[in-house]
Amino acid sequence: MKLIIDAMSGDNAPEAIVSGCVMAAREFGQEYILVGKEAVIKELLAKEKAENLPISIRNAEDVIDMHDDPATAVRRKKDSSMSVALRMMKDGEGDAMISAGNTGALLSGATLVTKRIRGIRRAALPTQLPCKGGRVLLLDSGANAECTPEYLLQFAYMGSFYAEKVMGIKKPRVGLVNNGAEDTKGDTLRKETYAVLQAASEAGRIHFVGNVEGSDVPKGACDVAVTDGFTGNVMLKTVEGVASFLMGELKNMFLTNTRTKLAYLLLKPAMGGLKKMMSSSEVGGAPFLGISSPVFKAHGSSDARAIRSAVKQAMAYVEADVVGEIENSIEYMAL
Amino acid sequence: MVFEKVCQILSDQFGVSTDSLNMDTAFVEDLGADSLDLVELMMSIEEAFDVGEIDESEAAGLKTIGDLVRRIGEDD
Repeated sequence: MKLIIDAMSGDNAPEAIVSGCVMAAREFGQEYILVGKEAVIKELLAKEKAENLPISIRNAEDVIDMHDDPATAVRRKKDSSMSVALRMMKDGEGDAMISAGNTGALLSGATLVTKRIRGIRRAALPTQLPCKGGRVLLLDSGANAECTPEYLLQFAYMGSFYAEKVMGIKKPRVGLVNNGAEDTKGDTLRKETYAVLQAASEAGRIHFVGNVEGSDVPKGACDVAVTDGFTGNVMLKTVEGVASFLMGELKNMFLTNTRTKLAYLLLKPAMGGLKKMMSSSEVGGAPFLGISSPVFKAHGSSDARAIRSAVKQAMAYVEADVVGEIENSIEYMAL
Repeated sequence: MVFEKVCQILSDQFGVSTDSLNMDTAFVEDLGADSLDLVELMMSIEEAFDVGEIDESEAAGLKTIGDLVRRIGEDD
């Protein structure tokens, strides 16, 4: 498998990206192409003593940053690491592409350069969140602020395929994020979407379990939580904020006095497990579901470990052929 | 010919029937296009008709199928 990695995009690029790529090459093997300023990447690879690993470089002099207009960035900055990497994907030079750069620009670029799967109206960005019993897939977590029932139906199908094939969840339970569990709850979008998800479930194509409230999602009420990108992003950021707040409060509590510090020593292994569960570095990245080739978005603040995890996710996505699964089911996904 | 080809591109991109499209169909008002849709459309048109790059300021003035068909005609 050959992975194309945008080396220049992200808060900690290029150091963390190159380092994460080296980590992945040592752990998983495979071939890698780092895209970006050749001289800079070469120097970083030398520091990592990675000359003998299967990592090559493709030069790209420009970088798309967070201030560039998402819809036109890839078109305007043709020699940016992200644009070059996307064109390489389009030309079949790799099996998957990873970038920690501007989410909007990557989504637009993936849509414009590598294109959506025919029949898919919008690509969605899924995020795996920790929940009781494992992980829940939240989508859309921010790619599409405004959605229609058809988009949400397609997200439900694509999320189900991803949960089953990549996360290993058999017959994933799909929930529609809403402000109440009853089928009469919500605005027009939620009510209309409820009806189409129910119909798809009755036809045996997805396993819809009804509306889920925000508080039900961390309790493990569903495996795939479907919502529009605006709500999904607010939900994601709220979960991240609450998790960070609670972890901070726990830390303060343990530092109160000698007795609590001793208690921490006893709980340290369990706390490590909790910290790992909450860490975004463990998942690393997510694909734009609905794009015709695997394009992965890594967290903007990715460290080397997160990039290594994104590579692992990308490999699983390619091996599971989620793109093929979506293409084969496209006839059911239109309203 | 140009009109039919433009309609086919729009039908593929927006999932609408070509029968529902006419010269007055507006991309934003009638098809619900957003900024990304418009860039995608311009790129598809550039590719299909081998016209030069339609930049954002020019694209902003192309609001209907008729506008687009006339723009393509200018390059023929």
